[in-house]
Amino acid sequence: MNAETMWLVTILGAPLAAVLLLFLLREGGVRVAGWIAGLAAALSLAATFALLPVLQRGDVPVLDVQWIPDANIRLSLHVDWLTFPFLVTEATVALLAIVYTWGYHHTDGRTPIFYALLMLFAIGMSGTTLADAMFLFYIFWELMLVASCALIAIWGEGEHRGAVALKYFIFTHLGSLMVLVGLLLLYDATGNDSFSALRAGVTLAPGLATTVTVLFIIGFCVKMAIFPLHLWLPDAHAVAPMPVTIMLAAAMLSMGTYGILRFPLSIFSLAQMTPFAVPMMVAGIISEIYGALMALAEQDIKRIIAYSSVSQMGYILFGLGTLTYDGIAGSMLHVIFHAIVKALLFMCVGLVVRATGRRRITELGDLGSAMPLVAICTGVGALAIAGMPPLCIFDSEWMIFAGGFHTAHIGLSLLTLFGSLLTVAYALWLVGRIFFGIRPEGLTIDPLPWAMVAPTLLLTALALIEGIFPAPVFHWVDQALNLILGGNW
Amino acid sequence: MTGDLSVVLPLACLAGGAFAVYLVARFVTSRNDLLALFTAGVFTAALTALAFLQSAAANRLPTWGHFGPGGALLRADPGALVVVGVALGLGLLVTVYSGRYLALDRRYETYYPLLLMLMSGLVGMLLAEDLFNLYIFSELMSVAAYVLVAFRRRVTAAIEAGFKYLVMGSVGTVTILIGVSFVYRETGQLVLSQMTGTPGPWTRAGAACFLVGLGIKSAIVPLHTWLPDAHGRAPGSISAMLSGVIVQSAFYTLLKVCLGLGFPARSLGTLLIVLSLFNMTLGNGLALVQTHTKRLLAYSTIAQMGYIMLSMGVGLRYHIPEAIQAGLFLMLTQATTKGLAFLCQGVCHFYCGAATINQLRGTAAHVPSIAVAFTVALAGLAGVPPLAGFVGKWFILTSAVRSSDALGYVGLAAFLLNSLLALGYYLPLIGTLFAPSPPHTAGTGVGRIQISPWMALPITTLGALVLAIGLYPGPWLGWMANAGAYLLALRR
Repeated sequence: MNAETMWLVTILGAPLAAVLLLFLLREGGVRVAGWIAGLAAALSLAATFALLPVLQRGDVPVLDVQWIPDANIRLSLHVDWLTFPFLVTEATVALLAIVYTWGYHHTDGRTPIFYALLMLFAIGMSGTTLADAMFLFYIFWELMLVASCALIAIWGEGEHRGAVALKYFIFTHLGSLMVLVGLLLLYDATGNDSFSALRAGVTLAPGLATTVTVLFIIGFCVKMAIFPLHLWLPDAHAVAPMPVTIMLAAAMLSMGTYGILRFPLSIFSLAQMTPFAVPMMVAGIISEIYGALMALAEQDIKRIIAYSSVSQMGYILFGLGTLTYDGIAGSMLHVIFHAIVKALLFMCVGLVVRATGRRRITELGDLGSAMPLVAICTGVGALAIAGMPPLCIFDSEWMIFAGGFHTAHIGLSLLTLFGSLLTVAYALWLVGRIFFGIRPEGLTIDPLPWAMVAPTLLLTALALIEGIFPAPVFHWVDQALNLILGGNW
Repeated sequence: MTGDLSVVLPLACLAGGAFAVYLVARFVTSRNDLLALFTAGVFTAALTALAFLQSAAANRLPTWGHFGPGGALLRADPGALVVVGVALGLGLLVTVYSGRYLALDRRYETYYPLLLMLMSGLVGMLLAEDLFNLYIFSELMSVAAYVLVAFRRRVTAAIEAGFKYLVMGSVGTVTILIGVSFVYRETGQLVLSQMTGTPGPWTRAGAACFLVGLGIKSAIVPLHTWLPDAHGRAPGSISAMLSGVIVQSAFYTLLKVCLGLGFPARSLGTLLIVLSLFNMTLGNGLALVQTHTKRLLAYSTIAQMGYIMLSMGVGLRYHIPEAIQAGLFLMLTQATTKGLAFLCQGVCHFYCGAATINQLRGTAAHVPSIAVAFTVALAGLAGVPPLAGFVGKWFILTSAVRSSDALGYVGLAAFLLNSLLALGYYLPLIGTLFAPSPPHTAGTGVGRIQISPWMALPITTLGALVLAIGLYPGPWLGWMANAGAYLLALRR
């Protein structure tokens, strides 16, 4: 086993070892649980970056082992340029969410299990992107759901957490089953479950190719929470404990984008995808506007940010639907930048809730003078999500709109552009209502733990840095597009 | 009588063991743990004999007993060997479990011999090549099962369930007997492998009788009505056996006999796919509204039978051996996961008196290990990766996709919808296990309960198996590899 494979195994192996350790320690590991999880997440992130030079050399780190010989199923992991940006995003979000948990989570006997499930959730996401075979892909895909659902069911806030978890599971499982059938149709066509067989090219009957594409797009749109498949999202995000919400919103939603890029877009030709362009763009616009309107109407600050995700995923789907280099590159950039900004916003909301104990926006106000740092971070996050230069989302939205204007559907592109005004409205109004205005009766402010503030500051800085220097990330995305589109487009 | 002694050896171990255990219980000791150990020894001997038989069956079909030219009394075909292996394995674990669990019911001197009789009937039925012996063995199995269902003879509901099972089961066996006579009337013989050529009208009627008779025993809707009562009222250990292996072994026998009697494979496959839709939907639909855990699990067995029927049906209709392999794999996962679920429910009943779903609240607080094992079982049944049930799900779906046919796709869609429907009762049940105890019992001082190693051992083994089979299904699938080709070769 060479060094590359070692790093590759570490990306999953370190969190997995932490999970096993935490399950073994249980009550005995209450005090060290956070450190174990943080260390594992940091190792996982370091291992991901250790593979960057390998990718730049043009190599693809692979682990490939025989698994179920009777059915031609192999256990294979690999990192290519499409995997890499997603992997970095997930690993970073997981690490920051765990650091945030140190301050957020109320320690008790079950804390090690909480961290263990968080790590399993992270493993599910990085495994999904690392998997190089369908069977393995689907196992990680479902692990992500099982772990997050358990976290919501056990540690969720409010009486209805069981019902919310059930809804979340069944709803997203419906999407997973569509993906599963799509995978099986491909598996049947190629005779083995490896992605390399797909990369080599798969010929499907025309009707079957359409079916597979539809199954994949709808299945992955459930995970992306595109209207009207978003119904699980607001409840799940609002009820989940904050670190889980951060991971759901910043990392898990992007798995749907990864799926669309990995399957229909890489496998099928431009001509095969063209019929889906307009439906994807229209669904994207509807989601964008609907999410923004719901965010304007919501009273619960966590749900406001949750609906903002529905809206932002709309941009991504629109970008993918343009089927242009710019649009798809913009969508991939948006995945990364949205992860930064959405994690930042949820962290800020978490800080406000921790300090005041309130979630209804009408019961908040004039916090700016009492919590200036949080106000600045939230302000940066809100401006970023509104697409304000020089913050990061400006870059990705620019690309998405540019992609839109390269297509023949200028009207749709204009609609997206003007729809983004609504984003400005809800984002700035949110900041205004929380941090300015009149302070309501009896609003007290508790001190905030550094473990919650530090990652928030880091993300604020990232949102600015990535906006000014997007070049390295842009390079990754460019490489990814060369890989999946193969210069055909 | 001539032939391979290794074929008759597992059967001899079990049948002889039944007498031996009874004699030991009457004249030597009536201590539960000793009897359980002795019975476990019998099972181990039978499993060892089976291992010999398995190695003998590597590249031929071992037979025993001479019945005319080419005929035999017993024949060890690859599929039957798998089902027998699974049944004996679960039987061994259930016996160990009974070493403590049976303290609820006592009467050890009848329980263990009956359990061994049940198993000898099952093994004989699966290996029988001659229809009359098949009838005898299936009757032996059923009689033992009736008595075991009604084992709690002071519980009225158990007697009622046993009686209902007896009545319906007897209709089944009588139908089988009529089928035997029909076949004999036309062909003048009863050995399956000697029946060649196109079946005449009497043989066809005979095959239909077998379909109905064994269909009752394998709970094919609408012949399933005895199952929820019987499986819901039997002692937990027996429910595990009934739901885990008995129903499936009757179904395998049904396939073997119907194909052997010349029932066209394509029609049988079509029939099974269509009936499987009812089994799945009805089982899952009714499981949603159950309030008793064991009845819920029993309805889930009907649904799981539907999955097995779908897989076998696709295999027969479209001539896909992998689908039959997948069907056998599902029998294995059903035995491990459903067995585990019933054993866990048994522990909750034994220590906390829990019978309804609501009474399972607080399980995680009192017996956390059982809550985890129960969760593994239910998640396995729901087909959550990476547990055993998911691998089965993957292979059923693969076969249905491979059929490339409208009916195959209907089966696929029905299966997917049903697996969603099933989440509707598995997930809340898991949620209940981890819910806090109801307020009126919270203060009663029931703390952590230490469960007996007699129960912990089989539960741990099954839980580990559910995970291991899911993570590394290769060897298990390899074990079943020849069965598909064998069953498809039976068709004429």
